Amino acid sequence: MSGIRRINPRRPFRITPEGIRRIVLGEEGDAGDITLSPVARAASKPLRLVGEATATLLVVAHSDRGALDAPAREAIAAAAILADPATAVLVLVLGDLAEELGPFGADRILVVPECGNGAFLPDLEVSVLSDAIDRFQPRHVLMPDSPTGTGDLSRRVAAALDAEIATHVVELKPDSVACYRQGGTLLARRGLPRFILLDPSAIDAALPFRGAGERLDYAAHAVAPGLYRDLGLKPVAGAALPLEEADFIVAAGNGVRDVPTLEAVADLFGAAIGASRVAVDDGRFPRDKQVGATGKTVQASVYMAIGISGAVQHLQGIRACRHVIAINNDASAPIARRADLTIVADAQAVMQALLEETSRRNWRVTDALEEAADG
Amino acid sequence: MDSWQLRIAVLVSIGRNPVSGAARPNRNDLLALELARKAGGEVTILHAGDPNKPALADYLAYSAAPLEIIPLPGGQDIVPALAARLQGFHLILTGSRTEGGEASGMLPYALAKCLGLPIVAQALDLAVTEGQAEVTQFLPKGQRRRVMVRLPAIIAVHQMAPLAPRYSHLRRVSGQSVTLPAPALTESASTAWRTEPARKPVVLKAAEKKSGHARMAAAITSESKGGTLVTDGTPAEKAQAILAYLRSHRLIEF
Repeated sequence: MSGIRRINPRRPFRITPEGIRRIVLGEEGDAGDITLSPVARAASKPLRLVGEATATLLVVAHSDRGALDAPAREAIAAAAILADPATAVLVLVLGDLAEELGPFGADRILVVPECGNGAFLPDLEVSVLSDAIDRFQPRHVLMPDSPTGTGDLSRRVAAALDAEIATHVVELKPDSVACYRQGGTLLARRGLPRFILLDPSAIDAALPFRGAGERLDYAAHAVAPGLYRDLGLKPVAGAALPLEEADFIVAAGNGVRDVPTLEAVADLFGAAIGASRVAVDDGRFPRDKQVGATGKTVQASVYMAIGISGAVQHLQGIRACRHVIAINNDASAPIARRADLTIVADAQAVMQALLEETSRRNWRVTDALEEAADG
Repeated sequence: MDSWQLRIAVLVSIGRNPVSGAARPNRNDLLALELARKAGGEVTILHAGDPNKPALADYLAYSAAPLEIIPLPGGQDIVPALAARLQGFHLILTGSRTEGGEASGMLPYALAKCLGLPIVAQALDLAVTEGQAEVTQFLPKGQRRRVMVRLPAIIAVHQMAPLAPRYSHLRRVSGQSVTLPAPALTESASTAWRTEPARKPVVLKAAEKKSGHARMAAAITSESKGGTLVTDGTPAEKAQAILAYLRSHRLIEF
């Protein structure tokens, strides 16, 4: 050795948008351009579980329209972080499932389509969860503490099994859980109990690895009708809901001048109406419709931003929205980076087209509501 | 007039003012009390704990019902004591969560298991018919669910129930509270908890070993999903693209 540090001239590199070759520091391997698309980068994450699993952590979650919500993903991520390399993360999905759970950290998946879809089936769900606990003997059962979903189910099961439970957990560590006491003035801590109910945002759901995402067979079993009878959901008019509670929001920005057409589009989807700050300042919408940093923070499943460019303050207000659809003249507007679907067109023309394309359908939200009110 | 008389027990706890920390009636339990008053029938208010708390008398001001107190020192399990007193009631109403104390929301479930009764949580409204109760349940996203449950049953009231409890000083001074004989003591099982002063909780993150370049790249690019961009086509085709997206994610039903 001569004492001179030798550098491989063919180290991995990437080509910048300006066409300049940049060496990638810290990256090992063969020479070449390693620029990857985000999709390829996600797929290249290593598997967490190596070899045969000897233990199990169970995560329970309700699905909504075939997908899991953010608190459910956080619970899966929490289990994947807690699990050692020989422990599998088993996810019990109550409701149907149409998405891959491997990228969220799930190794094995049990799907029970009979539950879910807003049905109240405590007897069936309790028996399904008790069976899963019997069959897999998980060390811990993690789930989001949603008041009506898994929060209700796990309290029933924990009471029935007389098991240790920690509810409203705000801090999870590999060896302890913590939750607030005395109205938030104290933090109570203990070792990991059997049931762990996580409050939202206690976990960072981003993982550097992925789970195997293998689906297990599940044979459904019938449960005798118990003391409960579900009479079904009451339909609600989206327009009558406060924005924070609405599931579908049609929001207007500076690009919308024709408010009656916007109201017709909102009526078409049974959606609540929101607005950006500019549209509210112009006096086209009342102040309580404003979405964003100085307005309301919304949690809709669908947020349709019509003629909204998407200032940072506005995007703050829609951070928790699941599907964002943008209709905008400008393809380079910031909303296009946030949106799942961006339509580059004049807002007025697309709104008219939406109304025309759906004018021949035979089902209307308002009719369904009137029918429910009559019956 | 039938001889069947609906008997309702409302379980109440000592609440805590979120700003001053002063003891007060628990908002959730007041809603349960108001719901019991609305349902009609013979209401009994029941509290297990220190009988000398002045905040307890405030419950009398919200209802004409008598207040019964099971004297129990702190650190004792209240479930067996409550269960012994709750025999013979058709409906047991309570708030969904205490404001002070453990606030785990487990009490109605533990009672339901102990008494072998059905439980419906997150109730917004209640209508009692012969031997059954129809409960309107709160669901997120503005949805409401109706559930029929056979009596006797335990019902935990949601904090957003559209009810307005009314304070009356006359009821407060004329109302009666009875301290029941002290029950046998059962040490509370949850000794695993240690308390510490509250602070901001630490978010659990996966440990990640990243190369310098990956860290730099993560700082300037967010992990965006890369949404679809539709630029070409007539407005009708673009409208169809929106509808197709909504249909493929099962967000609309037409």
